[in-house]
Formats: sequence, C-alpha cells, structure tokens
Amino acid sequence: MTTLRVLTVDDSRTILAMLHHTLSNAGFEVLQAEDGKQGLDVLRNEAVDVVITDINMPVMDGIEFIKNVRATGNHQSLPILILTTETSQDKRDQGKAAGGTGWIVKPFDPEKLISVIHRVVH
Amino acid sequence: MSDLDDFKATYFDECSELLTELEEQFAAIEAGERDADRLNAVFRAIHSIKGGAGAFGFSALVGFAHAYETLLDYVRDGRIELSDDVVVLCIRANDIVADHVKAAQTGEALPAEYGMDEKARFDALARGESIADDDDMSGEHVEEFDIEFTPVMVNLDAMYDDEAAADDAFDIAPMQLDAGHWEIRFTPHRALYARANDPLLLFRELAALGELHVRPILEEIPPLSDFEPFAVYCSWEITMVSDNVTETMIREVFEFVEGDCDIAIAQLGAAPAAPAAIPATTIAAPVPPPASAVAPEDDLLALADDEVAHLLDFSAEPAAPAPTAAPVVAQDAFEEAPSLSFAELADTIMPAAPAAKAAPVKLAAAAAAPAEGEENGNRSVGVQSIRVDLDKVDRVVNMVGELVITQSMLTQQMDETLRARYTELVRGLEVLAQTTRGLQDSVMAIRAQPVKSVFSRMPRLVRELATKTSKKIKLETIGENTEIDKTIIEQLSDPLTQMIRNSADHGIETPDKRLARGKSETGTIRLSAEQAGGNILIIVEDDGGGINRERVLQVARDKGIVAPDAQPTDEQIDQLIFAPGFSTAEALSDISGRGVGMDVVLSNIKKIGGSVHVRSWTGKGCRMTLRLPLTLAVLDVMLVKVGESPYVVPLSSIVETIQCSRASFERVPSGGQVLQVRGEYVQVIDLAQRFQMTGEAEPENRFVVLCEAEGSHKVALIVDDIIGQQQVVIKSLEENFERVDGIAGGTILGDDNVALIVDVQGLKTSIVHKNAA
Repeated sequence: MTTLRVLTVDDSRTILAMLHHTLSNAGFEVLQAEDGKQGLDVLRNEAVDVVITDINMPVMDGIEFIKNVRATGNHQSLPILILTTETSQDKRDQGKAAGGTGWIVKPFDPEKLISVIHRVVH
Repeated sequence: MSDLDDFKATYFDECSELLTELEEQFAAIEAGERDADRLNAVFRAIHSIKGGAGAFGFSALVGFAHAYETLLDYVRDGRIELSDDVVVLCIRANDIVADHVKAAQTGEALPAEYGMDEKARFDALARGESIADDDDMSGEHVEEFDIEFTPVMVNLDAMYDDEAAADDAFDIAPMQLDAGHWEIRFTPHRALYARANDPLLLFRELAALGELHVRPILEEIPPLSDFEPFAVYCSWEITMVSDNVTETMIREVFEFVEGDCDIAIAQLGAAPAAPAAIPATTIAAPVPPPASAVAPEDDLLALADDEVAHLLDFSAEPAAPAPTAAPVVAQDAFEEAPSLSFAELADTIMPAAPAAKAAPVKLAAAAAAPAEGEENGNRSVGVQSIRVDLDKVDRVVNMVGELVITQSMLTQQMDETLRARYTELVRGLEVLAQTTRGLQDSVMAIRAQPVKSVFSRMPRLVRELATKTSKKIKLETIGENTEIDKTIIEQLSDPLTQMIRNSADHGIETPDKRLARGKSETGTIRLSAEQAGGNILIIVEDDGGGINRERVLQVARDKGIVAPDAQPTDEQIDQLIFAPGFSTAEALSDISGRGVGMDVVLSNIKKIGGSVHVRSWTGKGCRMTLRLPLTLAVLDVMLVKVGESPYVVPLSSIVETIQCSRASFERVPSGGQVLQVRGEYVQVIDLAQRFQMTGEAEPENRFVVLCEAEGSHKVALIVDDIIGQQQVVIKSLEENFERVDGIAGGTILGDDNVALIVDVQGLKTSIVHKNAA
C-alpha cells in the first residue's frame, strides 16, 4: 500500500508542527503550506490524497482555497478536511458549502485525527 | 508526549511573533489606518494564539483570547465601531494576552481576576452596541459574550453539534448499549460526491462497528443517456449486527455527510435474526481496501459499458417493492463474488467513481515521488523558510570564521618571490578570498534578525511607565528593520528596557513641568537603530530635562565614586551614571529603582562587545547611544605587537596610526603623557606598561594607535609594532578562562598563536575612573 500523502494548510507553525508530527508518526507523508495560495501551488505540482486546511489564514483563507481546489478539474474528489475551532460553526458551514468533505476540531486528538482521515480516504 | 516541549517551544516562538505583529498592527491602527486588512491580521493573530493555547490546555489564555477574539469579530463585521476607546481597550487586551502567554510559558499563574475588567468591558461594548442596534438581538449578543469557554484538550464529540445533546441523552440511557440489530437506510442526495464524500468509506467505517449486510437500492439509476457520472443514484439499506453500538456511534459515521443525505436508523430487537437469512453481501469487519481499489481510468469505462448496463437491465424491470427487489438485484449482481471487498463493491455498484478518479492522482503521486518521503515519511513543499537550531548555525559561523582566517593566512604567506613565480596560484588565492568573504557574509546573514523583535516590546513598556508616573509619553521607533546578529538581539532587551525606564522616569518631566518649560505636554522617547559601518547604533533619546549634573556629582561624591576635590567635566559627570554602584537613590521610584542601574546596562552591553555613551543637554533632553558589533563572531582587527606578543585592536575603533617619532607627546603633572593631535589632547596608554610586558622596541620605532572610544573620547595606545589588518574569530576569555580587565577576548591566529583583543573602551573607562577617584 502506498503511503498516503497529506497536505496541511495552516498559518500557525504550532499547528503545522503538531499535524506534521501526528501524521508522519502515523506513516503518512506530509506536505505543508502556510496559506491557501501556497496550498494551491502545492496541489498544482504534487498529487495528494487528502487535504487538511485551516480557515483563518492570510493571503488566501480556507474557504477560498477549498473553492479554488474544487474548481480545478481533477480535484473534485480530493477529500478536504477543515480544521476548525469551537466557535466557527458558520465558518464550518461555509467551508462545507465551498466543498469541504469533513472537519476536525482544534485542538485535535491524534487518534481521532487519524481516524477522521481514514474516514475520508480510500 | 515527549515532543510536547518542542511544540510548546514552537508555540511560544510563534506567540512572540504574533504579539509583535499585534503591536505593529495597532501602531498603524492608532495612527488612523483602520482598514479591514489590519483588522483581519489582528483577528488571525489572536485566533492563532488561542488555537495553540487550546492544544496545550492554557485555559486562562484561551478564555481571555476567546472573549477578545469575539470582540474583534464584532468589530470586523461592523457590529462594534472601532472607536478610539475600542482601540485603547484592544491595546490593553494585547498586553493582557502577552501576560497570559508569559504566564503560560513560565508556569506562573496570574490572579484569577486578571483581565476580568477588560472582559467585562467587552461585554459592555457588545450590550451597548446591540441595544442601539436592535433590541431583539441584544440578548443574543450578550449570550455570545457570556459563553464560558472551557478548552478541552481532547474533545471531538463536541463537534457533533446538533446530535450532541440528543446523544448525551442516549449515552445516559444504558439500554442503548444492548447488543442489537440495527437497520439503517442511507439515501444520499445526488450531490454527495461534490464534497468528495464516498458511501464506500462510510460502509467501511460501519463495518468497523459490527457485521454488515448492505443492500443497494438501484431504482433511481437512470438510463445511460441521462446518466450523470458525478451524481449518486443509489441508496442503501444496511443491517448491522453488533454487540455494543449506540445510535451516536452510527450517526458519527455519517457526520460528514449530514445534510447531504437522508438517514434513518432503527434498532430492531436485541436478538439478531440469522444473518444468513438476509440475501445480501456480508462484510466482515474491518476490511482494509486492497491495492486494487486503485483502478486505472480505463476501468471506469469498462464498468460503464459492462456492469452498469447490466444493472440498468434490472432497474428497467417492473417496479417491485424495494425490500424484496433490492436483495435480488444485489444477489444477482454479486453472484460471481459472494464475498466482495469494499473496493469491488464500489467498482460494481457505484456508478460515480471517486476511487477511479483518485487513481490517476495516486499514480502520478507514485511516479512523481518514487523514493522521496519514504525515507522519513514526510516532505515539505511550498515552505520558504526552515527553522534551524542556532547551535548548528553557530558551528557553521565558527568554521567559516576559521576558513576566513586560514585564507588570509595563506595570502599573507605568499611573499613577493612566490607571487612572481606562481601567478596561477595567486589568482586562485584571490578567487578563494572572494568566495570566502561571500560565504562569510551569507552565513552571517542567516543569523541576522531585524531589531523589530526587541523594539516591539517597548511601546507597552512606555505605556505602563506613563501610567505609573502620570506622565504623557510618546514612543517613536525608527529603523526597526535594521538587522543584527540574533545572539546580540537576545542580549539587547534588558539594557534597552532599563534605558527606556531611565528616560521615562528621570528624563521626561511631568506634564505641568513641561508646560512650564515651554515644551509640549507629551514627552517623546525616540528609539532608533541604524547601521554604521561594522557597527549597529541603537539610540534612546528623550526630550526631557537631561541629566541633573549637580545631583549626579553630589551622589557620586557621597558614594566615594569621585574624589571630593575632583572637578570632572560635564561629559565625565554624565558618564558617571554608568559607574558601578551608582544610583541617585532617593530619586528612585519603583520603576527604575529595581536594583538594576546603568552600570548593569553597561556591563551587559560590554559583554556583547558593545559600548554605551550618554550625552545630555540640560533642560532639553538626553541621548544614550549603544554601539554594537554586527556579529559576535568575526572581527576586523589590526594586528599589533606589544612586547613580543601579538595583540589585536578592533579596526572599528581605530582612527589613525602615527609613528611615535612623529607624534607630539606632552607630560602632564600626574606623570602621565598626553598626545596632542590637531589641537586636541588625548590620553596615552602604553600597552606594554599596562600589560606589564617587557622587551619594548626603541621609542622612536614604536607606534601610536589612535582609537576612538565611545562618544568621541579618544585614546592613544602605544604599541611596539604594527603587523597588519586581518579578520579574526573571537573566542570568549570568560568562557575559556576568566574576565581580564582591558581585554575583550582572544583569538587564534593563522600561525596558531593566541592574540588578545584590546578592549579600547574598557581601558579608557578604567583610566577615567582612576583619574576621577
């Protein structure tokens, strides 16, 4: 079985570091981007199996990012998980409307994170 | 988790950057730039601080940041106007966030009521605004602000919003935990795939909970001509037999597709009927998807032609009641494969093909990165910076320093004869010199950091000082993008803090006094940084009353720092504030009188190879100048000989060198010598005497090295010979030996000899004190 590749998009280094740690420990290959625009750049050049993205980010926020990913021809079936905080129910709804597949609540629990990823990836 | 400390370090690093960002944004906002971009940046900063704090369970920080974030959110969407009052409140809130961060970092708890006043004001703002706006909304606003937010480190259940309440009820009722037999009817909406959700995966999740029997319902599948590959036409009836499954657990599986499907869940009696009686595909739990799940694109076409057409035949049959028809269909369709894997199930019955579509992507991934990432399981793309342990950079800096020195040694060894004979070698050495220099600059640039990170802490300090002293003080910062070696920046915070305290406490006058002196009510402290050759100048300047020289001299005499009959010049008096043990005790408030005087500032700055100079204008203000080296590692020096030993003098302090035979010395009554240079008398220090060396050269063959100590104090050093200029790597004497007066450090020369670095400022100061005392 090939290694799953996860793209994490977050402007917080702390969160990126924790995601990286959790995901690489679980045997995933981790790619990182610090905002939506960087995320799109990565997707242009790299094939990934699942995306985890924050909502509040500079340059391009998570909602725009998801919309853009879904608008690109070959990414309609790419699972995108939204990393949300407890207060952003409406953001989550917006994220879902934009094409988000599922969500992870910050702060995340490593085990649950992995199980949530498995829930959306073949 | 052993990595938790690493993450925390990252987090606090990040916090300090975010707090700097907040200071900057609010400086601009205060100046009137109240645009959406700045507000968004502020919101994000607080949001990130809160996010990380939640991960580590810093609940006080999360609580305050949460309330603040909500306020910012209201300001952002226009519900609260960003008035001056709100800006002031926000700036205060930033300080409180900073304190919470610090408390989290040090582990010292803040008082429970800390920041509560501000929190209450957030509430008041929300109420005020909403009452003016819309009475009906007010309750809601207040309620939102009143939410007691408790961070939960591991809490994924909280996200099942709507169900959460109901599920809690289920969890309380133990009967739901009975072994059972669940019937689930799952009817996806057509657009289920639009968000990359996939029924196959849901079944896999369900299969992890118990034994599954899945019956597809295929009536909705249209004729091929109307077939939309990205729509879902199937629905499924699922029977699950499991020992302990709750409805919550089942709903959890469908969490992400909530709103994109209809789900009916029912529990049938506790005793399950024989599963064999249900003519459906039986799936043992759990089944990992085999590699064959990755279907090449062509398979999609094959599937469309063959299997789908086959399925269509069935759907075209006269409608029969679903429960009976479906099993038949399923059984028939799966005849050849009684125990299907999920992947096969998908390939067979699912017309739209997320799996198939994913295939090219995956294959491309495999092709694009054959070996990469497999070694360590990760790879970063799109990141423009890396974080490196400073120790590693230090090692590189040190080695580059040694390289520079070896290179200059090689160049020195090339005498004229060799030069004439080996022109190619000479050319090679020149290229080597250039490359080495370039390498050195690049390596130094790695450690360089804008002074902004230190400057940004000062506005808050000034605000606090202004409040405590009931003065009006404005801080101006200039040149905050000037870069200095990171190791120096770290040492800069305390001295700068002390200097600004000094300015605010002793320098700036009270508003009425200022008015009486014909100045504006508000005093100004200007903090600036600039590069001047191989140095960085950091200047703290205020427009206050200047140093009270009478008082300083009085205190210095009382403390025996200055002899009663000595008559120091104004400049010498000003420098007295740096004398060890000096403080104008009675005048001290709790602000600057914390046992940390300017002498500590001076010694801290000297420790990093810098110097401090003060200039004061009575009634007009005071200026303190820090002169710092760009880096601690490499120094441009002049190599001299004192006695038989090599010494080095930092090039940055050398004004000129004069042959002793051409210099005009004059004796002074105390027995010392002064040098007259262009009408100016300069203190002479014979290094050989000072360092008790013997074997002095003939007096007329010796040299005077005229150095400028801080603040245009000149000093003339007499050396026995001048060898040349070069660069050296500084080695700390204190770390390797002990502190020696008049020596700033040591270095190892190209010929393996050790040379001591002359501390010009230190020599000068010790002599000023000796004379004054």
